[in-house]
Amino acid sequence: MLESILSAVGYMVGNPMSFLLIIFSVAWGIMFGAVPGLTGIVGVALLIPFTFAFDPIQGMLLLGGVYVGSTFGGSISAILFNTPGSPEAACTSLDGYPMAKRGEAGKALGYALASSAVGGIFGALVLMFAAPPLAQLALEFGPPEYFALAVLGITAIASIGGGSLVKGLIAGLLGLAVAMIGLDPLTGVARFTFGNMMLLTGVSFIAAIIGIFALAEVLQRFAEGPQDSECLTQVSTKLPSLAELLATKATLLRSSVIGTVIGALPGVGATTAAFISYSEAFRWSKTPELFGKGAPEGIAAPESGNNAAVGGSMIPLLALGIPGSATTAVMIGGLTIHGIVPGPMLMQNNADLVYSVFIGMLLANVLMLVFGLRAARLFALVLKAPYQLVGPAIVVLCMTGVFALNNNVSDVAVMLVFGAVGFFLKSYGLPVASFIIGLVLGPIAEVSLRQGLILADFDMVTMISRPIAGTLLVLAVLSLAYGLWGQLRRAKPGGPSDAEPETT
Amino acid sequence: MKHLKRFHLNAAAIVAALAFGSAPAIADDYPSRTVEIIHQYGPGGGTDRFIRAISEPMQEATDQSFVPISITGGGGVPAFVTFLQRPANGYTLVSISPDDVINHALGRIDLSMVKPLVRIQYDQGLLLVSKDSPLKSVDDILAAEAKSPGGLKVGVTGSAGFDDALIGLFNAQAGTELATVPFGAAEMVSNTLGGHLDMMYEEYGPTRGLIESGDLIPLLLFSDDRLTELPDVPTAKELGYDVTIGRWRGFGIKPDTNAADVETLVALFRDAAADPGYKKIEAENALQYRSEFIGPEAFKTFLDGEIATYTQIMKQLGY
Repeated sequence: MLESILSAVGYMVGNPMSFLLIIFSVAWGIMFGAVPGLTGIVGVALLIPFTFAFDPIQGMLLLGGVYVGSTFGGSISAILFNTPGSPEAACTSLDGYPMAKRGEAGKALGYALASSAVGGIFGALVLMFAAPPLAQLALEFGPPEYFALAVLGITAIASIGGGSLVKGLIAGLLGLAVAMIGLDPLTGVARFTFGNMMLLTGVSFIAAIIGIFALAEVLQRFAEGPQDSECLTQVSTKLPSLAELLATKATLLRSSVIGTVIGALPGVGATTAAFISYSEAFRWSKTPELFGKGAPEGIAAPESGNNAAVGGSMIPLLALGIPGSATTAVMIGGLTIHGIVPGPMLMQNNADLVYSVFIGMLLANVLMLVFGLRAARLFALVLKAPYQLVGPAIVVLCMTGVFALNNNVSDVAVMLVFGAVGFFLKSYGLPVASFIIGLVLGPIAEVSLRQGLILADFDMVTMISRPIAGTLLVLAVLSLAYGLWGQLRRAKPGGPSDAEPETT
Repeated sequence: MKHLKRFHLNAAAIVAALAFGSAPAIADDYPSRTVEIIHQYGPGGGTDRFIRAISEPMQEATDQSFVPISITGGGGVPAFVTFLQRPANGYTLVSISPDDVINHALGRIDLSMVKPLVRIQYDQGLLLVSKDSPLKSVDDILAAEAKSPGGLKVGVTGSAGFDDALIGLFNAQAGTELATVPFGAAEMVSNTLGGHLDMMYEEYGPTRGLIESGDLIPLLLFSDDRLTELPDVPTAKELGYDVTIGRWRGFGIKPDTNAADVETLVALFRDAAADPGYKKIEAENALQYRSEFIGPEAFKTFLDGEIATYTQIMKQLGY
């Protein structure tokens, strides 16, 4: 193994072109992540023809760099404009935007970048040293385990809004209900489509979140009237200090582990990893009341989680030849075009390629940190532009981005509708986070429950008494009970204590 | 000055001649911009890769791009509806496969609204088990099913689609009650390898790596003849089950497209399908055995036959 690593390092040093490729691909990825509608999947797919010009190793470095960059890139627009550039960044909006809005955009971007790099490097190291055993662990996850994992995440909806249990549940269940729209994933029967052909696809997740976050925010800002010009001068591009970053170390570690494991599971990826990391960070936090108001942990958790998932999703790709995410599915296409057969033999037959990808992903994360820290200060300046100009630009960008996603006008309609939904959720104090968690995890829970029941011949006990599934479900019940108890206890001494967000 | 004027006149004459000379060629200019090919599968999936592979030689020949547009979900209906909304100018094609035929048979879409253009690939599928599976042969499957009918679960991709039709057809012929469980392509493989599923249905191309490493064992091939790559895997036909349907891939266009453009496209596809670079990709996925290029008329006849076949299968399956 050491030999392979050394030989891969030797290759990189012997081909300075590789460094240029990584820098280019990370920048390309950040751009595709940041612009709404241009996701990392598109970024990777568009670069595949260019890899023809390079050898397979350089081709994979290019694609890996885009993947790393795009996962971070989404957080830039999520933090600055409340417009998640890609689905995996949706969760970063929840705390990143409030922090930026109170004038600490530089700090929010710094947290996102540092957490992304930590998560990304963690994922890449696990990929490098523990891919085969983790791939085996991932195979232990059948539908019952997916179901339990989703349930564990969903139990957070009740408490995550901070305020009221009832409002959290209402928002969360609304999210679950919206997730039911479309063709039944198992039988192909249309549900809640009201005869509308375009609703057969269901509600496009990215169109929905862009509506809920970005459009709803623009609506609200304009509804408040043009009184916030005093905000403009208060934009700080100050980055978080090392001590501030270290304060989130427990969250970073926990989320990196969660992200890597979830990334390694085929079919669920960075978005799920971000949301489960977020709800776990919330559950374990000493100051859960700060979540949703710009808590550093609320940025660190999803960003380290979704970037760790990048390395994680490469595990089944490189160890078994099956993609752990939609982006890696496109990468498999890239490999086969180069005449490489993805499969368990890849690590033996193409050790140079595999280890170069490992090194390349580590480098990509380091480079992202170095260049990103400088860029973050520049990006933060964007907030100095008057919102009367930025707002309409965001709306245009969202509409074109959502259309470009699937070349589908109905997605634009979905976004507009969800802009209104988001506006009303906010107006009635219903937590957006709970709604989105229902929307993300609902389909996973539903499909895996039904798959699991078919496999277990509709015997619920067999299904939930499997070791991993059972443990996760017990954890879910315990944490739900703990959350309820905590809320009841807090509710007794005169209402929920809304701690003031610290003002710096 | 005089010279210059003369030169100008000459130049004008040349330009005019060029313009006139190329006037009839304007119709032949097709394609003069990017041609979009709408399909219902994910980016990086088999069809997406197929379109990218076949369009390589076509881009070289025309200097224009042929790009796959992936509109996923909804059982393929939104992709088809999007195609119908496009103008009949020859710049939008749609991929056609058995999934579309099934959608037609189920009344979800109307295939008479598309003109069949060319059919290029014709694949063959396999029943595969994990290397740790107690099932070692088709006989084991039949024995297990005889013991507890419906006990074996087969992973498939898509719901009420091609895979379901094929397994349903096999059940009808073999007297088994194999139950299908729809998964995403990647989860289907991981659930089979992890032993959560008893077996899965998939084509050779996507599973080649896992077959070569010995992690997945193919037990049965649905085709007329055995594959050279898998000489020991029996066909359903030789075991007495007439299940040879396979996934094929072709393209369609709007019916009222200019006939000359249609001819140009058919010729482009014909050359591309014979291109050595494309042939190599075809062979790597064991697609060369049943794939045969057929043009609009033959494809139309073939499609009508498929519609009849699948309408009957879906009726048999109770859809």
